[in-house]
Amino acid sequence: MMDALDYSQTVRERFERPVNAGRLLGNVVSGGAGDESHGTRVEFDFRVRDGIVEESVFRAYGCPHAIAAASWVAERASGRPLRETGWMDPIALAEKLEVPEYKLGVLLVVQDALRDAASKAPKAREQE
Amino acid sequence: MICSEDIIYLDYAATTPVDDRVAKLMCECMTREGVYANPASRSHQLGRDAQGRVELARREIARLLGACHTEVVWTSGATESDNLALKGVAHSHMARGRHVVTSKTEHKAVLDTACQLQKEGCEVSYLVPADEGRVTPEQVREAIRDDTVLVSIMHVNNETGVASDITAIGRECRERGVLFHVDAAQSAGKLPIDVDEMNVDLMSVSGHKVYGPKGIGALYVRSDPSCWLEPIIHGGGHERGMRSGTLPTHQIVGMGEAFRIAREEMAAEAGRLAQLRDRLWTGLSHLGGVLLNGHRESRIPGILNVSFEGVEGESLLFALRELAVSSGSACTSASRESSYVLRALGRSDQLAQSSIRFSIGRYTTGEEIDRAIRIVSRQVHRLRGLAPSKDLAGAREAG
Repeated sequence: MMDALDYSQTVRERFERPVNAGRLLGNVVSGGAGDESHGTRVEFDFRVRDGIVEESVFRAYGCPHAIAAASWVAERASGRPLRETGWMDPIALAEKLEVPEYKLGVLLVVQDALRDAASKAPKAREQE
Repeated sequence: MICSEDIIYLDYAATTPVDDRVAKLMCECMTREGVYANPASRSHQLGRDAQGRVELARREIARLLGACHTEVVWTSGATESDNLALKGVAHSHMARGRHVVTSKTEHKAVLDTACQLQKEGCEVSYLVPADEGRVTPEQVREAIRDDTVLVSIMHVNNETGVASDITAIGRECRERGVLFHVDAAQSAGKLPIDVDEMNVDLMSVSGHKVYGPKGIGALYVRSDPSCWLEPIIHGGGHERGMRSGTLPTHQIVGMGEAFRIAREEMAAEAGRLAQLRDRLWTGLSHLGGVLLNGHRESRIPGILNVSFEGVEGESLLFALRELAVSSGSACTSASRESSYVLRALGRSDQLAQSSIRFSIGRYTTGEEIDRAIRIVSRQVHRLRGLAPSKDLAGAREAG
């Protein structure tokens, strides 16, 4: 069983200095998943132009893996089409962040939050 | 100040460092120049010297508990003492009854042993503390049946520091002719104890909770035929036949000295620890959303258990790694299950997960407490700042 100090260097760094944390004001697309009472809640705000993410931030209640993963996703989302979320592969992210198998559910919450935002993103025709 | 790589030790309820005075005496009982002989070797002077040291230490344990030295049985620690008490009574009283009463917030050493007794055919009633973590005498009175052979209730809870009214519970047991065992691992040396006044028949204590060595403990067994215990370790008939095995003189001498110091310094230390604990609580409560777990008054000064709203437990524990603290009981912190003790007190799973037990002791300083407050405040603010607001829809509107 992994103990409280057994996190990868990447997770430690993102937990200590999480990039892209915060809240966006104005016309943004938001999405969230999870429940604090179940241990993990992740939310994203995206500023989108022509379907492409210009700016993104996260908020997370959860273990260090949840915070690190949400930070990583928020950072990597910039420049990508919001409606396309296939690049966020929880298994690959688990390997990158060295997330133990029993914590995979946390990464699925992060993925669900991204998908929730994507589902609310305006379609290309609507934007026109 | 006790620091390792600048970590502040606030986990005295898990264990304590050995007091220098204790270590000095222990060292006298290990090497060739010292008292190393087997205390059971009464055929020569070296053995009798060791036996003398053992018996002096036994008297120190007895003095702290208000007992007679002949009523103290050495064990390997409070866990073994609990095992011996519960199994010993249950096995020797099978013909009279098979019912045991305990509580849901006992240490695992009692709960797991009770569970084992259930497998052996005993029936166990688990009381849920009714009074902010305290088991009440009324609860015990209602739980005792004609076939009850033992009531086992801890004096002070290891997670919350809450103390139950052992004297009143003991009175209920005595009136019904039921043996009463008390796990006093967290209270011995912290609160005044008198086994006669408290109507206690069996009491578990440990060396390492009071600045003595690990690996040594004792069980007080009232000198009464009804208190005979069926041993769980056989071989040699040591300790009145209740616990066989060569006595570890250095461990025993260490525990004896630790108990002597605790008895002499208890009152002064309790006052100092209460001041430090209150200082810690005042500092933490300024954060807001900080809940005290357990009874506000009836508790020992060395333990402060609080839950932090809006902060996830695992992240909090990791963020606080400059502090040596426990999330729930130290014995269960390897697992991510929330504290069964706090859940039994009615805390939500979320608040139980975000609880931290700060336990302070002999070497804790005011400077350490102030630094701990600063660290906790900074990290709780930071983690709360990362967390979503409660109302996502409202946040969007604000945006």
